Amino acid sequence: MNASAIDRRNTPVAPSPEPGRSGRAPIYIVCSPNRQVGKTMLARLLAEHYMADSRVFAAYDLSDEAPGLADFLTHYVSIPNIRDMRSQVRFFDGLIEAGNVPKIIDVSHREFANFFTIVDKIGLFEEARRRTIEPLILFLIDPSPVAAKAYGLLRRRFSGISLLPVRNLTVAKGLPYCASFPHASKLVVSLEMAVLGHAARALVEREKFSFLNLAKQTPPYSDMSARTRAELDAWFRRARFQFREIELSLIREQILAALQSDLCA
Amino acid sequence: MPRPAVILVGADKGGVGKTTVSRTLLDYFASRKITTRAFDTECPKGTLKRFHPGITDVVDVTSVPDQMKIFDTVESSGTQITLIDIRAGLMTPTLEALRNIGFIDMTKRGDLAFAVFHILGPSIASLDEIAETSKFLLDARYFLVKNFINNTTFFDWDEGTYNSYFNRIPHAVEVAVPKLSEMACEKVELSAVPFGTFIADRTASGQPAGYSFVLRGYVRHWLNGVFTEYDRVRLTDILESQDSAAAKPRASAKVAELSPQRASS
Repeated sequence: MNASAIDRRNTPVAPSPEPGRSGRAPIYIVCSPNRQVGKTMLARLLAEHYMADSRVFAAYDLSDEAPGLADFLTHYVSIPNIRDMRSQVRFFDGLIEAGNVPKIIDVSHREFANFFTIVDKIGLFEEARRRTIEPLILFLIDPSPVAAKAYGLLRRRFSGISLLPVRNLTVAKGLPYCASFPHASKLVVSLEMAVLGHAARALVEREKFSFLNLAKQTPPYSDMSARTRAELDAWFRRARFQFREIELSLIREQILAALQSDLCA
Repeated sequence: MPRPAVILVGADKGGVGKTTVSRTLLDYFASRKITTRAFDTECPKGTLKRFHPGITDVVDVTSVPDQMKIFDTVESSGTQITLIDIRAGLMTPTLEALRNIGFIDMTKRGDLAFAVFHILGPSIASLDEIAETSKFLLDARYFLVKNFINNTTFFDWDEGTYNSYFNRIPHAVEVAVPKLSEMACEKVELSAVPFGTFIADRTASGQPAGYSFVLRGYVRHWLNGVFTEYDRVRLTDILESQDSAAAKPRASAKVAELSPQRASS
């Protein structure tokens, strides 16, 4: 099955879930109140993780500066608008109705406050959980006080929702987690994005670059050295390993919840 | 033993949101499991009745038979609250009628509780209404409602002038009804159900309605804000005897407490 292709000019057209897959589908909210911390890169990695397995997913680009997620994955990403009520209804209602399909939302630093204010007002997370959708906030941490403050606010306001600090080692190397960014999730996972070498980094920042095309022998992939190719391949595999850990943790939580419910019945 | 209460909702000016405030009050009392009946004086075609048909009668408050229907049955009706939505221009005549039939004297003796929700418009004429209305209400609970729902800004009020009117009435309490987005407001109007029923996503007959989850979220958020105001002014204390009301601690009601069945009744 191919990854879902969605008209990027408009908001969510719900793709159908994969036959045979059930359980809670995650909504990954990739966010930070700061720019240049790796939000779009993480969202790209997540999207390509699903694409690599030919799994259905939906992705949304809430960034307002290029290059955004939609610039890298043109045919797979919608560009919603949440600035007015009509657009919010279209986007968030579509998000909820899309049901059992993993979703990735890349929230730009400029939309951060607005996005979570709306989410809070409309009760998105509560409604999502009622509909077997599991919200996961992937928060790119960095040393700025703004990030620590925003993380604390999210933690207090959305207690009970998985808030996972993501350490991009390019910007957050050596930053202690525990003090400012305590893990706030039942999911026992730790997310980290390793530092990429200059050549590899320059390559992934090119629009249209895809990790899925690393084996191709056409430019720009044919121009890279074997070492860069190996570095990128390992980097992508490492990211995918962490995403699988999230998925396994979700399944584990679902099983535990089901067992608990059976025991109580 | 709680005493029955009569609540008048009115203004001499039209279009200030009297019926909207009446609807929020009916939802509020429903959430607190306080029984209500309502009278809609938009005779012959009631607006309030459209939203709360099961508990609302349309009456002509200027006619003696309808006055008997309302006020002779306050104690015998079996409901704790009798709410009267007074149509534009009838506020002062209704208060005069209540004085003439001895109803206001009854409330002075404490047999009944009496409260007036005076919905203010943005013009200075509203302030003159306060002076006119307050002379009837020396022993009643008098709530001055600034209703922002229809985008009222109250911009042309001089704070000093307002305070001079406000301070003339020792028991007057100010209540602010926050703004609800036009789209959400319009959707509830079209659905012709109580706010609580809309939030619970039910039609008037109790069937699943399929309203936008975003709009339901905004209405829930707004109604929680309104309920918080009613809690702040200790609205339910009007049912208590005058002695016990002063000492009673406040309880808070949230919109989540509205069950679909209860809300649609």
